[in-house]
Amino acid sequence: MMGKLLSAEFMKIKRKGIWFLTVLGPIGVVAMQMVNYGVRKEYLFRQNDDRWGYYLDNIHSFTPLAIVLGIVILTSFMSSIENETNAWKQLMALPVSKMGVYLSKFTVLSVLLLISSVLLLLFTLAFGISLDLGGEIPYAGLLKYSFYPFFAALPVLALQLWAAAVSVNQGVPITLGILGVILTYAGYALPDWLIWKWPLLMNDWEEPLINVLLGGGAGLILYAAGMIDFVRRDVK
Amino acid sequence: MEYIVRTENLSKHFGQEKAVSGLEMKIPKGEIYGFLGPNGAGKTTTIRMLLGLMKPTSGRIEIFQNDLKKERLNILKRVGSLVESPSYYPHLTAKENLEAMRKIVGMPKQRINEVLEIVRLTAAGDKKVKGFSLGMKQRLGIAASLLNNPELLILDEPTNGLDPSGIIEIRNLIKSLPSECGMTVLISSHLLSEIDQMATTVGIVTKGKMIFQDSIEAMRMFAQQSVLLKVSESDKAWRALLGRGMKAGLDNGIISLPQQSDENVAEAVRGLVEDGFSVYRVEEEKRSLEDIFLQMTREEQAG
Repeated sequence: MMGKLLSAEFMKIKRKGIWFLTVLGPIGVVAMQMVNYGVRKEYLFRQNDDRWGYYLDNIHSFTPLAIVLGIVILTSFMSSIENETNAWKQLMALPVSKMGVYLSKFTVLSVLLLISSVLLLLFTLAFGISLDLGGEIPYAGLLKYSFYPFFAALPVLALQLWAAAVSVNQGVPITLGILGVILTYAGYALPDWLIWKWPLLMNDWEEPLINVLLGGGAGLILYAAGMIDFVRRDVK
Repeated sequence: MEYIVRTENLSKHFGQEKAVSGLEMKIPKGEIYGFLGPNGAGKTTTIRMLLGLMKPTSGRIEIFQNDLKKERLNILKRVGSLVESPSYYPHLTAKENLEAMRKIVGMPKQRINEVLEIVRLTAAGDKKVKGFSLGMKQRLGIAASLLNNPELLILDEPTNGLDPSGIIEIRNLIKSLPSECGMTVLISSHLLSEIDQMATTVGIVTKGKMIFQDSIEAMRMFAQQSVLLKVSESDKAWRALLGRGMKAGLDNGIISLPQQSDENVAEAVRGLVEDGFSVYRVEEEKRSLEDIFLQMTREEQAG
């Protein structure tokens, strides 16, 4: 059943601008550094001898914001597909389980964000090479900075999906989303337990992997809680 | 008798409000069941419960003799439905809309063209639904409900927004379904004339309660005429008729003789004349199904 649901979901996101956003996100993040390095390349090269590392840090300064913003926009687009003409009732009157429907939405969003992450990796690598940063290419760091934020942001994804799927008024998930983006933006000054800070990959132990594990764990819990609530409710 | 749908003491409460209470619905196989009631009577709530979109507060639902709670997926495989206003994906074409659902119900691709043909939307199949008129969207909804070739078709106000020729088309389509495809149809409406022309069995619901459920013929029995007499001294005349052992009613000075043969009416008039009353008018009162419907729903509100 999951396969059928997923192929139906991927069909429904056609012409919604969802694929466009998926590509635009990583382009935006790298484009910021294109401007940055385009304007003051020499100055930036002088800042740190590890030019690749410094470049990756610069890239990562916009990734968390882009991923949280992306999650907010994608979840709201995704749920608008059903909310627009209240097609939930039509979808749920088909022989599908509510859990299956919820899982298929979550899966599609995860796949889109993973595609964004892969693109981020490729764009970062390509622009990095074109900058002629010198030294060896730090593939481990590249992978880390491309995929860790996605896993660290899973709780935000679970939370936004739940809010968008159960709210009759879409102002609720949008408000929550804007709040989340602001919290991510101000993440440096916030305590570690706030899920919106996690994509920054900062913590007291200076070990980004903790954010990944926390993200996966908390994401799973929030996902399960959201799904249970979604299943329990009457269809809108 | 084999019932396709059977509910036992079905109730749904929203807080204090009892949308549906103690509903016992019985739909025999191969019937077109007209589910009738004024706006807000609980028709849609009942239909949503039949499809598992809402959980009943109490009571049981059996479809195809299976408990809906336990066998929801297996039951829904054999059910087609259109609930309330049509739902659709506006950014997709009619064919893509049906394709998104076909993938889930798992019918051959050819079925999409078949259902589009049935509702006469073939020409608009590749157009985005965004630009459809309400009637076309409604047809698309009906096409979608037929996609899995269901044994039970549940249509909530299916002729909403259709033009007169569209209504006739859909009506003929629905009428043909039981004999041609062996379907059982549940169709809700607040318009009695609508149900009258299609249904073989009728259920009337008001304020969440089923107040009548029987064949359409049984309902028509209520529509039999009565004869009204306007006479002098109506009160005395009425007693005189009762004294002669006739069934008669008195309302606002007018005597009514319900469901009488011609001979009985003649006898009553002769009796009244012999007793010295003046008979001013003898007239027949025709009650339409509409009147009966109104009367039934009103009685329920008064009681």
